Amino acid sequence: MKPSYLFTTIFLVLVVNFGAQAQWKKEKALDDTKIWRYDIECEGIAKQGAKLVKVWSYSKNPKHAIASAMRNAVHGVIFKGFAGGGQGCTSFQPLVKDPSVEEEYKEFFNEFFAEGGEYLKYVSSATDGSIAPGDRLKVSKREYKIAAVVTVMSDQLRKRLEKENIVKSLTSGF
Amino acid sequence: MKQPKLILCLLVILNITLAFGQAKKPTLMVVPSDAWCIQNGYFLVFENQGSTEKIADYKRAFQENPEVLQVISQINGMMADRGFPLKNMESVIKTISSNSAEDNLRQSKESGSDIAESPIDELKKAAKADIIIQLTWTVNKTGPKKSINFNLQGLDSYTDKQIATATGTGAPSFSAETPVLLSEAVLSHMDNFTASLQSHFDDMFENGREIIVRIQKWDDWDGDLETEYGGGDELGFVIEDWLQKNTVKGRFNTTDMTENMALFEQVRIPLYNEGGNAIDARRYVRDLSKFLSDAPYSIPNKLVMKGLGRATIILGSK
Repeated sequence: MKPSYLFTTIFLVLVVNFGAQAQWKKEKALDDTKIWRYDIECEGIAKQGAKLVKVWSYSKNPKHAIASAMRNAVHGVIFKGFAGGGQGCTSFQPLVKDPSVEEEYKEFFNEFFAEGGEYLKYVSSATDGSIAPGDRLKVSKREYKIAAVVTVMSDQLRKRLEKENIVKSLTSGF
Repeated sequence: MKQPKLILCLLVILNITLAFGQAKKPTLMVVPSDAWCIQNGYFLVFENQGSTEKIADYKRAFQENPEVLQVISQINGMMADRGFPLKNMESVIKTISSNSAEDNLRQSKESGSDIAESPIDELKKAAKADIIIQLTWTVNKTGPKKSINFNLQGLDSYTDKQIATATGTGAPSFSAETPVLLSEAVLSHMDNFTASLQSHFDDMFENGREIIVRIQKWDDWDGDLETEYGGGDELGFVIEDWLQKNTVKGRFNTTDMTENMALFEQVRIPLYNEGGNAIDARRYVRDLSKFLSDAPYSIPNKLVMKGLGRATIILGSK
């Protein structure tokens, strides 16, 4: 084998390997948060039609937890809601009150929460992505609990779910 | 030529179906509470048989307090965004007074007659809505620190029940002005308020609209609710049996029953009649009115309504 062929082959193998590894990492991040294990709390009062929340995500890799924060925040606003507390926060009831709806509209939500899915339209990072020292906790030997503050556009999200008939609008039936 | 006619017919049928599929939409209006009006000095005092009474002076509150306008405007905006625009109380008050002035001046071109108006008609000229959103807030001050205590109550005008609520105290602040704190309070409470309102509407669609039915009698009628008819049942029981048959899941409460009057509360009526038309208390109680005026009872009666949720039948004559 000529040296040029050898280098090309090694290069191609490396490219394919890196690609596969990146894909594996994404899948791993999804796997880590697949069971929707997270905590959500109110972080303050956002602009009209939005919610400012802090989401604590669990993962073996801190990077995965940060990547999942946005997805978890949108999921939390739809299915979990959060309690009130300091900073003028009032409790927020989830947009979907019946837990069985997630299973009923499984196809829609799988697509909605897929990697790069539609959920990204309704969430943005409230900070520059940096994590405060107190928001990075090692909860066990191999697991981290990491918080990120994000803004969820709850009004737009509700309207989207109303369009799919997953959530009833206030005027439905009138 | 036949095809366009067919399409037109189909469109008409579709339109009718859609129109029948809609329940009567309640009107909502934000009203500052009596407590807020009196606390802030917007009230009128009058003597009522020896005791002094205070009543809220809404007109002056709207004219002199920009904060109440700001809060109401913000609530109206957020509700309109949900597809539920509210009646604006300030405009309603102005419309009532301008209509009243017009009615006083209006005369028939041919006979010179005035507009017919009974004392009851006069009394009914008030700002009203099916659901009143009662608004109260107080500013708490501890030294330079300020916070807002905010309370929104959705009240059904007919059943007097509180059907929606959002209340709480905002975060204290050393620097924020009251209008900013109020704006934050509205933002943080409206979601909870609309969520509880939604629960009320869900319950209404499932169990029917809740109304109040009153039965009274004219003084000159010689019968009463204890008069026995046909099979020996008293009129009061006949009416109860009719309600049992015609309410959703037979739900109603007999709150009061004497020989002269009956009061039925928590009467759950269907949102649509058999023809698929949306109905309210008046349309529903009209069937009871017809039932009583037909044989074997043959009792002439007068049907009086109050909004979507309260109707009275006065037995004896029109």
